[in-house]
Amino acid sequence: MTVHFSKVPFAGTVPSPQTENEGMITGNWRTRRPILDADKCTDCQICWISCPDSCVNLSTANSSLTFNLKYCKGCGICNEVCPVGAISLVPELDFED
Amino acid sequence: MSVKKRISGCVATANAVKLADVDVICPYPIRPYTGIMSELARMVADGELDAEFIHGEGEHGQLSVVYGASAAGARAFTGSSGVGVTYAMEVYSPISGERLPVQMAIADRTLDPPGDFGSEQTDALCCRDQGWIQGWASTPQEALDITLMYYRIGEDPRVLLPQYACQDGYFVSHILGEVEIPDAAQVKEFLPPYKNHHVLDTRNPQIIGAQMEPKMGPGMQYQRYQAMESARKVIEEVHDDFARIFGRQYSPWVEEYMTDDAEVVIFMQGGHAQTCKTVVKRLRNMGEKVGVVRLRTFRPFPTQQVRDALSKFKAVGVVDNSVNFGISGGAGVLLSEARTALYGLGDKVKTLGFVAGLGGEMITHEEFYKMFSKLKEVAKTGKTDKENFWLPFEL
Repeated sequence: MTVHFSKVPFAGTVPSPQTENEGMITGNWRTRRPILDADKCTDCQICWISCPDSCVNLSTANSSLTFNLKYCKGCGICNEVCPVGAISLVPELDFED
Repeated sequence: MSVKKRISGCVATANAVKLADVDVICPYPIRPYTGIMSELARMVADGELDAEFIHGEGEHGQLSVVYGASAAGARAFTGSSGVGVTYAMEVYSPISGERLPVQMAIADRTLDPPGDFGSEQTDALCCRDQGWIQGWASTPQEALDITLMYYRIGEDPRVLLPQYACQDGYFVSHILGEVEIPDAAQVKEFLPPYKNHHVLDTRNPQIIGAQMEPKMGPGMQYQRYQAMESARKVIEEVHDDFARIFGRQYSPWVEEYMTDDAEVVIFMQGGHAQTCKTVVKRLRNMGEKVGVVRLRTFRPFPTQQVRDALSKFKAVGVVDNSVNFGISGGAGVLLSEARTALYGLGDKVKTLGFVAGLGGEMITHEEFYKMFSKLKEVAKTGKTDKENFWLPFEL
């Protein structure tokens, strides 16, 4: 739905988001979803460095590495750079959500 | 105290940029506009002007530099000619979309059909749809004056749009004319410091030029449309204020020369109009009822003012110093826009298109005589076998 011009920020300039930008959710662009095989993952963090959209969350004491699927566009760079093949790309249609 | 000097359009523009106290200048060489930058380089080197002088690596780089500079709150100046103007094409719409009042001087140069370097307005006219204020100077004095006026118009909070201050290459940019260079105090009164609507500032981070979703697109474009429309009132106010402070009164939209009781006129813009005035004066001495209507502001196009001005005459010859292959009417952009302005008047005013002075050739007295002669014939008979003429081959 077209946003009325009075609601569009002047010149499209918006305050810089400190964490996530609610005005530009890009997760619905994705056709393939990155899936981690936690047993293979060595926590080398190369995917975290390489992700152009900062969609890799590092592992914590309670959790292995996760992906921010609200913004991940499914570009597949993480899958390309993973030295141990721990990240696979699964077609989105294979998931129910 | 203002001083009078005999200087070229390029040097006149450089003087205006200095008086406007710009903060950032971004040059890249291409003739003929480059005369502006060599003069500014001298001014900066000699300590006459305190500005950052940043060389672009090309015209696309130039426009990107002034884009950033203006976003950071600087008054920015750049310029180009010919293929340099078109090389930077990608960056024009983002600058006006971001509502950054950058100024770009264009001294016209023909686009390459290879390697011509003469004046032709095609380069700047290619940019007419980019949301920039645009108009042509016809003398070095006017080149200086529009530089100052355009900054004031573009930086007005009701407008906030960039500006192309155009002058014909060589015919204006390199021909000496008597120019009154105003006093810095007068300019200070006329042109307040630039205040950006939103400034790049690390203490208050913003996304400038953010990617947006399509649903935001129509509103963004509508805002820019409104800015261009509200520029109309501002342009008139600024011309009045300019006259008050500097004593030079320009009509903001169209300048009429010997049009009282005229039956046929030439409608055109830029420096060639000066040649046309000379021809008109001679024809008037011979009792012919002829005149010139010179367009001063091209964007926003003064539809109503052009209609009011041109509807008084029997026939109007529109001179296009530019090419637009395959355009409606078969001549150039000015013919197309003039006819749009006259739409609704039916056959009351006959319009003919003349494409002339291409590639940097003079539009000669001889050619103007031929145009007027054709116009007289059409005014008298109401008929013509042809409505568009490419000079010198078709008339």
